[in-house]
Amino acid sequence: MKGLYSILWSDNSRAHLLGAFLGTLAGLVLLLSGIQFYTDIKLVLSDNQDLLDPEYIVVNKKINIGQTLGFSGSGFSPEEITALRQQPFADKLAPFISNAFPIQAFTESDKVPNFSTELFFEAIPDEYIDIKSDEWQWDPEEGIIPIIIPQDFLNLYNFGFAQSQGLPQIPKGVVSVLNFRIRLNGSSGNYQDLPGRIVGFSNRIHSILVPQDFLTWANDTYGYFEKVDPSRVILVSKDPTDPAIIKYIEDNGYDTIREKLKGSRLNIILKFIISFLVLIAGIIILLAFLVFFLSLQLMISRSSQKIKRLHKLGFHYREISRPYIFLLLILMIAVTSIALLITGLFTRQMAAMAEQWNMAISSSLHGIIFGTALALITLISLSNVIAILISTKKLCK
Amino acid sequence: MTIRLEYLIPLPLLDQQRGESEVWETSRLNFEPGLSYLVEAASGRGKTSLLSIIYGLRKDYRGKVFIDESDISTLGEKEWSVLRKTRLSFIFQGLELFDELTAMENIRLKNSITRHKSEKEIQEMAGRLDIDDFLQRKTGILSFGQQQRVAIIRAMCQPFDYLLADECFSHMDHKNGKLAYDLISEECKAQDAGLILSSLNSSEEITSSKKLIL
Repeated sequence: MKGLYSILWSDNSRAHLLGAFLGTLAGLVLLLSGIQFYTDIKLVLSDNQDLLDPEYIVVNKKINIGQTLGFSGSGFSPEEITALRQQPFADKLAPFISNAFPIQAFTESDKVPNFSTELFFEAIPDEYIDIKSDEWQWDPEEGIIPIIIPQDFLNLYNFGFAQSQGLPQIPKGVVSVLNFRIRLNGSSGNYQDLPGRIVGFSNRIHSILVPQDFLTWANDTYGYFEKVDPSRVILVSKDPTDPAIIKYIEDNGYDTIREKLKGSRLNIILKFIISFLVLIAGIIILLAFLVFFLSLQLMISRSSQKIKRLHKLGFHYREISRPYIFLLLILMIAVTSIALLITGLFTRQMAAMAEQWNMAISSSLHGIIFGTALALITLISLSNVIAILISTKKLCK
Repeated sequence: MTIRLEYLIPLPLLDQQRGESEVWETSRLNFEPGLSYLVEAASGRGKTSLLSIIYGLRKDYRGKVFIDESDISTLGEKEWSVLRKTRLSFIFQGLELFDELTAMENIRLKNSITRHKSEKEIQEMAGRLDIDDFLQRKTGILSFGQQQRVAIIRAMCQPFDYLLADECFSHMDHKNGKLAYDLISEECKAQDAGLILSSLNSSEEITSSKKLIL
C-alpha cells in the first residue's frame, strides 16, 4: 500500500513534527532522569537509615511561655495520642509514664562521697528500649530498682563535670556497681527506701528510665500528684525518611530531635525539587503532545480532499487512518527509545560521578523508568490514535 | 445485484422544469442483474446525481433506492466500504485520480485493497487501451482522455455486480472509446455484472444497452 502512504504522508509538516519530536524527547528525558534519581536517592537515604532498623522517635510538645506560666499543659491529651497513633508512619507508639510522687536518690556508703538529689523517673514499655539486660526487671521480692540513664549523662559527668572539678572519672562498669538508694515519698510523710542500680546507658532515650511495672506499682502505692497527660511519646517508624513525619510534627506544634529525621527533611527538599522537575517535564510533554496532536490533525485536514477521494474509492476510514497511526507509532517508538538511551547514558555518567563521592547509585535504569516511559507513550499514542480515527471518520461521512 | 429506484428525485431538480423522464419520480425502476443500461440526457438533467445517489455519495434526494431489497439510506460507513470494494464500481466523471501518483500507482492503489487483478492483467488492460507507455508517468501530466482510460482500468480492479460509468468516454476519440467500451463490456460479462452508463448522447460505440431518458 505504498500509494496510500505516499499520498497521505506528502502533506506532512516536517518542521512541526520535528518540533513535537524534540519537545517530547526533552520532556521525556527530563522526566525519566528525575524519576531515576529520585528512586536512587531514596534508596541511598533509606540505606543510611538502615531499613531493617526502624527509627525510634521521641515526640514532645514545644514549650511556650504559656506552659512556663502554667496556663496550658505540655502533655498529650488522649485524643492527640489517638490521632498520632493513626498516622500511617507510626507503626508503634507509647506515651511516657512519669512518677506521681517525689523521689530522692542518695548514697550511704563510706567509699564514695555522700550525695543526695531529687530525681524523676519515666517508664516506657521494654520493647522501645535499646538496652537489653537481665537485670532490667522489677522484682518486688528483691526490691532493687534497675535504672537506665542516658549515655550523655555519663559523658557530661566524665568529660565535663569531673574534669573541671578534679573528681575521678568513672567508667561504665563502675557506675553499674555503685550502690545508692532511692527514697519514694508518699503524701503523708511515709516513705520507702529501696536500692537502685544503673543497668545501662541509653543512646536512644534521654530520660531516667525504670521498668514500667515498677513505676506503675510505685505510682499506685505512693502517687498523689494530680494526674497529668504524658509529656512525651515514643513512636517507631519503619521509614524515618517519610516526609509525612516531619510535616505532622511541625503542623501540630510538636518537637523532636531533628537529627533523627534529617532523612525525612532531606526527602521533603528532594521531593520538592523532583516535583518541580516533574512539573516542568510534564508541561513540556503536554506541549509536545499538543504539537503532535495539532501536526497530525493539520496533516489530516490538509489531506481532506484526498481522504474524501479515497473514501469514494472504497477505502474504509480505518484503512485511511493507518498511515497516520503508523507515522505516529514510528515517531513514538523512536522518541521513547532515544529518550531511554539518553537517560541510560546520563545515568551511567552520574553513577560514575557519584562513585567518586562514595555514593552508590544505580548505573542502570530502574524498572519504573521503563514502566513510566511505556505508560506515557501509550497514553499519548492512544489519545492521538483516537483523535486520528475521529477526524478521518468525520471526513468520510 | 438488483438496484431499484422508487419515486427518486434529487432535491436540486425539484424546482427545475422537467420534461418526461423515464427515471426521476417513477414509481418503480429496476436495474436488473447483468443487464446494461444507457442513461442519456443533456447536461444538468442529473446523470451524475443518479449515479452518485446509487453509489451512496449523495444523500440529498427524495424517494428511495434499494440495493438487493435493502434501503441504501440505512447503510453504514462500513457497509458502503464493503459494497464499494466488492460489489459496486464507479468510473467518476471527475476521475478522482491522484495527480501526484503515476498512472500505475493510481491503479495499484485501488488494487491494493481488493487484490483483484495481477500486475500482468493490469499491463494487459493498459495495452488494450493503448496507455501502457504512460503507466509510469505522473497522472497529472497526462491528457484527460488518457486519464479517463486510467480511471477505467482502475475501476476494473475490483469485483463488482454493477459498474457505474459516468460519461467515461467523453474525451476519447471514436477508436479509443470503442476499445474502452469493449474492455468494460467484457469485464462486465466476465463478472456477470450489470452496467449503468451515462452519456450526453448515444454514441455509436455503445451497443446492446437498454436506453433510459432522464
